[in-house]
Amino acid sequence: MPKVKTNRVKIPEGWELIEPILSELQATMREAENDPHDGKRKCEALWPIFKIAHQKSRYIFDLYHRRKEISKELYEFCLDQGYADRNLIAKWKKPGYERLCCLRCMQPRDHNFQTTCVCRVPKHLREEKVIECVHCGCNGCASGD
Amino acid sequence: MLPNRDSHFSLSLSALSTPHIRRHSLHTPLPPATVFIAILIFISTGARLFADKDILIIKVRERMAHRLLRDAEADGWERSDFPIICESCLGDNPYVRMTKADYDKECKICTRPFTVFRWRPGRDARYKKSEICQTCSKLKNVCQVCLLDLEYGLPVQVRDTALSIDSNDAIPKSDVNREYFAEEHDRKARAGIDYESSFGKARPNDTILKLQRTTPYYKRNRAHVCSFFVRGQCTRGPECPYRHEMPVEGELSQQNIKDRYYGVNDPVAMKLLSKAGEMPSLEPPEDESIRTLYVGGLDARINEQDLRDNFYAHGEIESVKMVLQRACAFVTYTTREGAEKAAEELSNKLVIKGLRMKLLWGRPQAPKLESEVSDEANQQAAVTHSGLLPRAVISQQQNQPLQAPPQPPPMPYFNIPPLPQHERAYYPSMDPQRMGALIRSQEGSSSGPPGSNENRSGSEQQHQQAQQYGYPEHGAPSGSILPTILPAVWPHGTASSSAAV
Repeated sequence: MPKVKTNRVKIPEGWELIEPILSELQATMREAENDPHDGKRKCEALWPIFKIAHQKSRYIFDLYHRRKEISKELYEFCLDQGYADRNLIAKWKKPGYERLCCLRCMQPRDHNFQTTCVCRVPKHLREEKVIECVHCGCNGCASGD
Repeated sequence: MLPNRDSHFSLSLSALSTPHIRRHSLHTPLPPATVFIAILIFISTGARLFADKDILIIKVRERMAHRLLRDAEADGWERSDFPIICESCLGDNPYVRMTKADYDKECKICTRPFTVFRWRPGRDARYKKSEICQTCSKLKNVCQVCLLDLEYGLPVQVRDTALSIDSNDAIPKSDVNREYFAEEHDRKARAGIDYESSFGKARPNDTILKLQRTTPYYKRNRAHVCSFFVRGQCTRGPECPYRHEMPVEGELSQQNIKDRYYGVNDPVAMKLLSKAGEMPSLEPPEDESIRTLYVGGLDARINEQDLRDNFYAHGEIESVKMVLQRACAFVTYTTREGAEKAAEELSNKLVIKGLRMKLLWGRPQAPKLESEVSDEANQQAAVTHSGLLPRAVISQQQNQPLQAPPQPPPMPYFNIPPLPQHERAYYPSMDPQRMGALIRSQEGSSSGPPGSNENRSGSEQQHQQAQQYGYPEHGAPSGSILPTILPAVWPHGTASSSAAV
């Protein structure tokens, strides 16, 4: 048999510390995926997915960029393995987008009139105070509030 | 569609300076079925001018249909640039963003694909979209969204019966016939052939003027009633965009778009027509001397000239007195017949500057009491506008806190609110000159309503001549609207008038 090269993942140090939380988050994600859709609107059924994805990415982003508790290697490892969304984190580094809920809400191409989702509008500029954005169920992700 | 106002155009261009609103170059990697183009359109189509609105139309997508389409709508699919809609449906916001989707939906009447426009008519409104195609709407001269007449805002059945138009026999209602007819019509319209459109030529009729809607009605743009709330199951709470109210059930709830369009069996129309049949006409009061009409529902924009313009046709106007404070006016004719004629003609139809006016007869005051009343009490009598206000308004007035005279004197009359001391000759019938009494000196008088001022100055000139026959007349009690004010005035009047002469 020819030699089959398998790519074995080399786990960097520090992984054991963050691994329990990450697997917990993965478990909730799986639950959200398997939830029945009864009593929920079509778009509403997807909201937990976006919420948990945001949470996972947030955890890793916080660890590396804010609290600086993990190494760059571990951080990159997490991103590569899909525990966090690289593109979303890239947005969080930009001013004004620190609390962005998901990538769809700020994409003008996805909306009529090339605007952003209503959740990006700060509460003091909005007319309706309580909203749930239709993409991800976000209540308001403007950096001000 | 070219802009017809240059300044307007440049204003909006600057607003459009953000790059994404410019014409998109089509090499951006977009999915093939979607094209985003922003088109700024100033409306100047035909009779419908929305020149005060700034409407931005974004073309949302070309349907997959465009690939199936052999050549531009060989099947008679309709395409248009701007919807045919009424003011109420367009909304109160001068800025409107509209999306346009070619061949997005079928016309609800003729089932041909047509261009659907979708917009939000104001902040508290739901999104509205055009429901029927332009061909169908032109055939009946109705709004594409609400299917009410474009000029009068009335259902098709009401308008047709009121104007005795019958366009129905020409329009086939079934299947292929209908499609053929619609297509033919469409083709003719596009070719510019002027088919006989009876709507431009119909002269406005009495009934229609009574029934028409004069101001836009935005309540129909509200969100629909939340059906979950009706069952008690709305889990969305405060963010629910639908109305949390109980629906109003009744005969009017069973409406059908085809019935409404063809003007057949429309419950709203039938209710409106029966109401029109019984609209009360203004009967003249028994008191023969009343020649004054009360006009209610005034606004700051309406001035005396407007009133005169509307009322002169029916008889010679003696005077027009406007009371802006109470949003009303009193128009007095020289003859009783003139007043009656005006009442008859204008009773439910008076519309000035878009506002519907309420027309009533002026009423005499409550019966007078003993003559040995104080001067002030008489002046109080005067301020009930010499009894020309209908009782309902008078009682309203006495409920409101009036500017207190320095000492509100004890009021023996139930009907009479205290008089601000400087009030003078407030109404023509209070004007002693007119009633035959003598006028007292004017120097002390401060601001009255401008109308009364000019009346007074006019009367002052005539006063000198009239003095002689003014005097003997003051004895006449009959039908005079202000028996009590005269005793108070005459003693002063005689003194000053003799002094003035």
